[in-house]
Amino acid sequence: MAQDARGEVYDLLAARGVSRRDFLKYCGSVAALLGLSEMYAPQIAAAVESGAKLKPVLWIAQGLCTGCTESMAQSRTPDVPTVVLDILSVNYWETVMASAGSDALKAITETVDKGGYILIVEGSIMNGANGNTLRVGGRPGREDVKEAAKNADAIIAVGSCAVDGGWVKAAPNPAGATGVSEYLASVGISKPIINLPTCPVNPEWIVAMIVDVLLVGKLPALDSKGRPTLIYGSTIHDNCPRRGHFENGEFVEKFGTVEEKKQFCLYKVGCKGPQTYTNCPYVRWNDRVSWCVESGSPCIGCGNFNWVDNDAPFLTRTSNVKLPGIGGVAPSTVGAVLGGAAAVALGVHAVVSGTQGRVGKGGPPETEKAYDRKKAAKGGDK
Amino acid sequence: MSGHGHYREAHPLPLMLSHWSNLISMIVLVFTGFYIHFPFFAGFMGAARSLHFFFMYLLLVTITARIIMAFTVKDTNQMGTKDRDWDWKNWIPQAENRHQLIETAKYYLFMRKEHVISAKNGALQKIAYLATIPLTYAIAYAGFAIYTPAHQWGIWPFFEAGLTAVGGDMNMRIIHYFLMWAIILFTMIHVYLANIYGVAPTKLMFFWIETEDPHDRYHQ
Repeated sequence: MAQDARGEVYDLLAARGVSRRDFLKYCGSVAALLGLSEMYAPQIAAAVESGAKLKPVLWIAQGLCTGCTESMAQSRTPDVPTVVLDILSVNYWETVMASAGSDALKAITETVDKGGYILIVEGSIMNGANGNTLRVGGRPGREDVKEAAKNADAIIAVGSCAVDGGWVKAAPNPAGATGVSEYLASVGISKPIINLPTCPVNPEWIVAMIVDVLLVGKLPALDSKGRPTLIYGSTIHDNCPRRGHFENGEFVEKFGTVEEKKQFCLYKVGCKGPQTYTNCPYVRWNDRVSWCVESGSPCIGCGNFNWVDNDAPFLTRTSNVKLPGIGGVAPSTVGAVLGGAAAVALGVHAVVSGTQGRVGKGGPPETEKAYDRKKAAKGGDK
Repeated sequence: MSGHGHYREAHPLPLMLSHWSNLISMIVLVFTGFYIHFPFFAGFMGAARSLHFFFMYLLLVTITARIIMAFTVKDTNQMGTKDRDWDWKNWIPQAENRHQLIETAKYYLFMRKEHVISAKNGALQKIAYLATIPLTYAIAYAGFAIYTPAHQWGIWPFFEAGLTAVGGDMNMRIIHYFLMWAIILFTMIHVYLANIYGVAPTKLMFFWIETEDPHDRYHQ
């Protein structure tokens, strides 16, 4: 049977112009991403080969821009991650599947009834208007997630929206968007969820997680927020190829300058790398061609939780603080105003102290506390 | 205040040294902190961060030692005297400070002419000094929470809980920044009030130079 699967997978790969050699090489890099030795490449290949037959996948779309699907489908040539996901038995993926309507939705019910599948959710859960801000198949879209979560072997929330609501959740959030974990917890389904934030998700990470689930048969090590520690264990800043320029104090002050050309650090033009936990600097994007900082853009922190509200404006060092009646103000402006106001107040105080003859010696000492004086005036202790 | 003697018993040597240590740490931390927040000249980031971390540990050690000293060192509790008592009484309002908090505020706001009766430290002064302790620990806590190497420490969950509570690294950075401004504002007011009524307290605090007052009982 394994032999059949093998043949079937390689036929599929060959039809898309991916050789067996390419595939094994790719499995080696997945091994590296999972923190395994490249020795594991054949086992990963075997897991994908048999998984292709055994492991169905449901890819459920919710409140989304389809960017994560785009990210999966971004390839110039049929790249290996897309093909690997393609040859998995994806029973439902509305953006790319051929069938539509109730026929398509039937695939969800059938797969759930059989059980033993991987559920991938893309997009935020839209809770606004009792879930009616997103309707699929005549009912709130979130019902699909609830139904599909029931019998899933593993749930993977791909992209920031599925993780915590992403940009859909950004203030004022009229759609009432949340992430999959929060939603499932609210409907009483407690299942471990693999959270893969960033906007969009990196296909390499999905493949790595699916391979991990197929290979080891259980979820990888997750941090307290459900993120695989292998992928989200350290900051972009700590692995950034421009880190040396940061330590040297060499910064891009403005775009279009010689400093930018020299690829100096983007910290002063708003790079959120120091507080963003992903392995973008070494896994990179688009077939490992490049990634944001390498292509000259400061990191906008899309791998963070509540990332739009926390990280915008994207080209300044910090986000703004919201002051009632004034709106968003940069923290440094608030600090400078406070410090300036205090300096002016103390200056005025010094001048008034001068006119009162207090400077250098203070006011004349009182002989009795005001409290005791008042008490005595009232008749004192009788 | 002027009008009475300033003797070394008011600030014994260990307290003078811890004050120096705190001052130097704060100046370096604030300067490097501003630089790390927004590097306003080139070529200093590596040094700024190293200095920031070194003086942060020095400050934490000094302030912790200072708390221990409050219970183990005796200094004067009243003005114009050499009589000593436990230092912690200079941090907590005592009998001499009772009913004087509002009067002190009124004096500083020119709502009364006479200076109020108080211990060596006034009621407002004691509360402000006391507040610097939780303030310093809070800013250190916020600092550790945004310091990525702390993720590897056994007590990381303690910091992670705070990060989750405030909604992530960015908010914690802003809190760390504003707490620094709280320290700057405290220092501005502290420096002003310590010197506007005469420089005798400063001479004593920094250089251990006494200012004598012929009216004190030590000169009668």
